[in-house]
Amino acid sequence: MHGPCTGLFGQCLVPPVDSSFDAAIGFQSRARSGSTSQALLNRASRCSYFFLYDGSKVKGEGDRTREGICYFYPEETPVDKQELLCGQLAGVGRCVSELSSSPVRILRLRRNKYAIRMEGHFFWALGCSADVPIASVCERLDQLIDLFCFYSDSVRQSYQLNSQETLSARWAQYFLHLQPGSSELHRIFSCLRTIDSTNVDPLLLLKAALILQACQRCPLVLAGCILFRGRVVSTQMSPELTMKVMVHESETYAKAQSSSSSLDAAVSSITVFLTTSELQYLQSAPVHKDLSSHSTPHRDAPQKKTRLSRTLSEMASTESDSSDLGPPQSPHKMSFSPCLSESDNSVFSPAPSQSTADPLNPPPQSPEPPFSNGRHSPEAEEEEALDESCYQSFHSNGGGDSQVHHEGGGSAFDERSSLNGGDGDAARDFRVGDSGNEESHDDEDDGAAVGNREGGCGSAQGDQGEDPLPPYGGFENPEESPRIPMMLYLHRVKGLVLALLTDPRFLSDEASMEEVYHSSLASLNGLEAHLGTVPPVPPGAPGAPGPYIFAHFDCIQSTLTTNLSGRPGGAPEHPFVRATSLLHSHFCNTKTLQEAIIRSAGAAVYGTRSVAHETYFQQHGGSLRNSGIPNHQDSAFSLPGKARHRLLKHGVNLL
Amino acid sequence: MTTKTSLLKVILLGDGGVGKSSIMNRYVTNKFDAHLFHTIGVEFLNKDLEVDGHQVTLQIWDTAGQERFRSLRTPFYRGSDCCLLTFSVDDNQSFLNLGNWKKEFIYYADVKEPEKFPFVILGNKLDVTERQVSAEEAQQWCKENGDYPYYETSAKDATNVAVAFQEAVRRVLAMDERTDHLIPTDTVKLHRKPRSAGTCCS
Repeated sequence: MHGPCTGLFGQCLVPPVDSSFDAAIGFQSRARSGSTSQALLNRASRCSYFFLYDGSKVKGEGDRTREGICYFYPEETPVDKQELLCGQLAGVGRCVSELSSSPVRILRLRRNKYAIRMEGHFFWALGCSADVPIASVCERLDQLIDLFCFYSDSVRQSYQLNSQETLSARWAQYFLHLQPGSSELHRIFSCLRTIDSTNVDPLLLLKAALILQACQRCPLVLAGCILFRGRVVSTQMSPELTMKVMVHESETYAKAQSSSSSLDAAVSSITVFLTTSELQYLQSAPVHKDLSSHSTPHRDAPQKKTRLSRTLSEMASTESDSSDLGPPQSPHKMSFSPCLSESDNSVFSPAPSQSTADPLNPPPQSPEPPFSNGRHSPEAEEEEALDESCYQSFHSNGGGDSQVHHEGGGSAFDERSSLNGGDGDAARDFRVGDSGNEESHDDEDDGAAVGNREGGCGSAQGDQGEDPLPPYGGFENPEESPRIPMMLYLHRVKGLVLALLTDPRFLSDEASMEEVYHSSLASLNGLEAHLGTVPPVPPGAPGAPGPYIFAHFDCIQSTLTTNLSGRPGGAPEHPFVRATSLLHSHFCNTKTLQEAIIRSAGAAVYGTRSVAHETYFQQHGGSLRNSGIPNHQDSAFSLPGKARHRLLKHGVNLL
Repeated sequence: MTTKTSLLKVILLGDGGVGKSSIMNRYVTNKFDAHLFHTIGVEFLNKDLEVDGHQVTLQIWDTAGQERFRSLRTPFYRGSDCCLLTFSVDDNQSFLNLGNWKKEFIYYADVKEPEKFPFVILGNKLDVTERQVSAEEAQQWCKENGDYPYYETSAKDATNVAVAFQEAVRRVLAMDERTDHLIPTDTVKLHRKPRSAGTCCS
């Protein structure tokens, strides 16, 4: 495990650290959740470290590193340990980015991998255990920074205006929010937590969508979402924006619980900050999204528009005609689907690989997002085969004969991917440069693996840092592009929340406020009553996991359907979750990959994806015949057929 | 806690499109929207009022009239203190259906003594000129089915709406007084829910 460093930078810049960090991790996990095996499993998937370091505070020889540490998680880490980690990562990061003229995205140190982001003097790092996909770590860091900017605007300015304690509390809040006790599958896809739609009458989803549409009759209301007990019932916003709004919702929920809810707490509002592209997306009516996405954003755009949407009742339909209801989900889907045609690329790169900018609606002319599939693989895999060797049969676009048996450390089948079976501990990072050059850093050990983002797009940072690095591909640099203040209006009815993003003038416009409040109150009361009577699924209810497990991820709406219980780490499910993680990474990295089967001696998982979906399926029972060589008699090859058949009743059509 | 406030649940039932939501909105927010969409399932609003010296909070439940929403609305009939059966005076079918609505309510609300339960009948859309149901017909029906009070209302013009709800409250209060006399005084009264005690899920 702890052999000599092999990576160039690892060797020269990161001397093997003593084991104190591992000790710190152990301490942290015990403190948080007890020392059960469950906690150990959780620990593996959770992020262990997060810090923000301000290099401008540490310039002279005598300046201590701790002066630059704005926030460090876990907060109970001794300061000298904090300094050690911050100093090393920031040093390596800066050095590598100067040498390579491009920003660092990932660093590997001992058993952890760190997603890195550098902007101006600020340096963020988020550390997870090495078996979390790189794409997931990087995305989570982007989400974290994005969340902060959504509620606090510019990081630089926030630190000028607020005390460090205040902002530390915010980082801590966002950090904890992004690693809730949700199931591991949710973490893999970073998807929205939605209400269990199999348990809810679809008419109630329609009701929620209609409430939102009715609110939009007020021209100052841009878009909204309805949440119930921390889960999405209906949303008009992009998944990314919805996720951000949900953070504040959970905060007010905690407050409402503690302060024995009074009536005046029912409505609240705060200022939030949207990027220009987010705002642009919201301001364009759904049907015109394609056209308007190329216009420049206007601050005064809300004045020009009249109505964003019409309620169904406004369409010339008469009452009691069932045809005017339409399919229940349609109002929800409508707002996303027009983007499908906009860019194939955006569709092919599932959400986890790009986060800050709206992946559904990338700003025109911006460079490609750094992790879009095919062009640049953020990593190859952390793949350890399920347990032993792995046989993968890939049916890529090109030909059906591309079944590849892969074994050992070779990389015969695809230059972009690495598969290493046999050795469970080995992990590799591959980078495929923009020009097609491939640079790979093989570090099987403790050294630091360094991945660069797109070649040629960055310049070394000047000492003064006056010119921050160019924005990452499609990402917006929160320090560079100003965000636009908007209001987030919340109306709570017990566990149900109506959240609306509105023009700032909405708050001073009493008539509009009252209209929105009164037009939605009765419906919200009713919806709450309906949803409150739906019996909650007891945690881990399906005692026997049933004959099969599936997970169906909708990349467009960022939602997950699964028959897996919410508890992470359940014994029969664990291989499925790991296989899903692995296959998901493959799908992210290989644009042409459509189907894959991954298997160990004891289990086989089938994965398939289309432009909008990824589906994973595992059949229980029945012995897998695995003779060690590829074999068409192998029962694993019947998985696709079984998946098609079984999943139909869950509304998943794989035909 | 100085004055006792009771929470009374009244429920509006009737065919789709007769104006149940409009009646509720007119009464609680004093607004009228001619373009309301069908109610899906149930909705409700609260209104505080004083009737004959009694402080009451009226919880008005508005329901979906369309048959396809039936399974969504019926679970909420239970616990109603009064039922407002509504039809539209310009729609004879909605009047003919009153009996069915009454039956549905009694069945799903699990009313123990249907003949004593307070119903109030509303003939809405009084503002419409082409009537299909005459006041006499409606009154006749009310007399034959249990001597229910009948009001002709217009949510659009706000005619008789408040009066009808006040009458509903009076009927409930009268019911309670009658039962108060019958029941020995040391029993716990479960029927009415004091507002202060009902925290959230009563």
